Amino acid sequence: MELRMKELTRQFGGFTAVDHISLTMTNGVYGLLGVNGAGKTTLMRMICTLLQPTEGEILFNGQNIFKMDADYRKILGYLPQEFGFYPEFTVKDYLFYIAALKGLRPAVARKRVKELIIRTGLSKYTGRKMKKLSGGIKRRAGIAQAMLNDPKILVLDEPTAGLDPNERIRFRNLISELSEERLVLLSTHIVSDVEYIAGEILLMKDGALIRQGTADELIRSMTEKVWLCRVEKSAVPALMKNYKVSNIRTGTHGTELRIISEKSPVPGSVMEEAALEDVFLHYFGEKGGNNDVLL
Amino acid sequence: MFCYELKKVLSKVSSRIALVVLLTALLIVSFLAITSVSYTKSDGSSVSGTSAADSLRQEKEKWTGYITEDVLRQVITENTAVNQSPEYQSDNVTDNNIAYSRKQGFSDIRELINMAFSGFQDYDYYRVDSVTADEVGELYGKRVENLREWLYSDEISDTFTESEKQYLIQEYEKMDTPLYYTYADGWKALLEYAPTLIMLTVLVTGFLVSGIFPGEFSLKADSVYFSSRYGRNRGVRAKIAAGFCLQTALYWTTMLLYTGIVLFSLGAEGGECAVQTWLGGWKSFYNITLFQDYALTLIGGYAGELFILSLSMLISAKTRSAVLASALPFIVLFVPSILSSVNVLSKLLGLLPDQLLQISTVINTFNLYQIGGIVMGAVPLLFVLYPVLFVLMLPGTYFVYSKAEIK
Repeated sequence: MELRMKELTRQFGGFTAVDHISLTMTNGVYGLLGVNGAGKTTLMRMICTLLQPTEGEILFNGQNIFKMDADYRKILGYLPQEFGFYPEFTVKDYLFYIAALKGLRPAVARKRVKELIIRTGLSKYTGRKMKKLSGGIKRRAGIAQAMLNDPKILVLDEPTAGLDPNERIRFRNLISELSEERLVLLSTHIVSDVEYIAGEILLMKDGALIRQGTADELIRSMTEKVWLCRVEKSAVPALMKNYKVSNIRTGTHGTELRIISEKSPVPGSVMEEAALEDVFLHYFGEKGGNNDVLL
Repeated sequence: MFCYELKKVLSKVSSRIALVVLLTALLIVSFLAITSVSYTKSDGSSVSGTSAADSLRQEKEKWTGYITEDVLRQVITENTAVNQSPEYQSDNVTDNNIAYSRKQGFSDIRELINMAFSGFQDYDYYRVDSVTADEVGELYGKRVENLREWLYSDEISDTFTESEKQYLIQEYEKMDTPLYYTYADGWKALLEYAPTLIMLTVLVTGFLVSGIFPGEFSLKADSVYFSSRYGRNRGVRAKIAAGFCLQTALYWTTMLLYTGIVLFSLGAEGGECAVQTWLGGWKSFYNITLFQDYALTLIGGYAGELFILSLSMLISAKTRSAVLASALPFIVLFVPSILSSVNVLSKLLGLLPDQLLQISTVINTFNLYQIGGIVMGAVPLLFVLYPVLFVLMLPGTYFVYSKAEIK
């Protein structure tokens, strides 16, 4: 199975949201990392046939997905960032409706809904109206609907946004379980979401893919080093202005900063092993404390 | 999918409120129709509703039969006799009512005489009092003669072409005479109030179906919907089918309940009488019975509803706005009445879809159209035009929605 993007571009008026992306994906989990507005959602919407590309094409096993139409959507599962639902439907109603939309025969739908309700931990909530569910339970219903047709391609756009840490870990594990024998494209701006489960990570910035590889490959690709330094509190603003700071910890003996820089930022700094978060900051971070880089 | 589409609409609280509003409208309009029939008792007091209909039926059935010259003379004789009674000549209102109670049985025929002898554009309630037994037999001839005089009068001579004038005269002459008469107040009440109920049904149903297409967008369920296997084909067809079935079920349930309630209360006899046997239909050039008039009113209302609401669904699919879609029926229904004073637009206004919702009124208007040398009234044109447009709109709605992009 192969999903291939050739010079994929999408423009909105004069703004280019996705800029000539060429990429080939096969089975496995792909983590799509980028700051908000990088073009991740637009790219995913094109992969899900919700948006037509302005230029280029997407091929599934050599066939244009827009020409395949329903035959392509048959093997697709999608959990959008803004997961809407029908407020008066119960969880069961909702899943059966989506099963019908996905073309599952009633007997198959019954079996799949039952399986996924158990797998996603929704057993207690099947009769509850969607509008009365918490954010985490709604997301579980969202992943259940995406999995109903046992998709070969599973696209998850910011699936953990707004979830508490427990739910996030639970969700990550669930995605990991579901990722066997399929292509999972997971978009996020939360590094830890992809760090543990993505086989390959795609870094996206200003509509373009700027780097791809495993977590280790991306770490090795860094041209800067990671430094740990302890300074007086009064020195912090100047360091933040001049360096990419990935972490600040204030203690009784001063402030400890984790800084990404080619050279040692202050005398006595200790070089640390880089992590994926540092990669994120290296590629996307700006000096001066951009909120995104602190995630 | 179809059932879930219906469930999406009907599970909303606002939809349930709309259904309660429709039920209330049905009960109020039925009540108004039933109580529109009144009967004046021999003591001068009045009753209305079912008991009035029973008493009126007894009085009017005495005059059941063809309205021949003899019957017309008899009406003149009876009318004159009542007019000479002390109660009629009294200044006391109750006495006058007592006198009127004796005229109720032939009041419909009395009105036909008033209409025929008052001139085409005039109406004089007391005209019958001065019509003699010798001249009343000219009633049917007077109807055609009045029309001819009116058509060739300076007042409107340019309004109709010569072929349209000839068409109207021919249709008037085609009316089967003598007219058959019997008690038919149930049908008349039905016809009088049906357009109001049809319009209310269209507005309420419009509100219900307006969310079928934009709902996916407003609930942000669009991404999952359109990325599903059938989201761009069968799912869209299910939405169109749900809209169609809701329109059909609500319209026919409401109208058949209305028909049943009113006819059960006022009586179903008289449907075979020509529309010209009552004051409201005397001038009509459509030679149909009251039953046919009502059937056309119901079918026309249904065709109009299908067109208006399907247009509203098409607009909602395109604009993704339920607000605009639910406002459209109001625009279609009320803008023509604002423009009705503009004479230049009368031909155009006669062909607007709101006309289908009031066929019982349209059959009494003189909107004529000439196509390929053939003159016809608005009714047959409306019945062809809007069902065709409705059928053409369905693939349009399907196409627009199935190609939607989620930006």
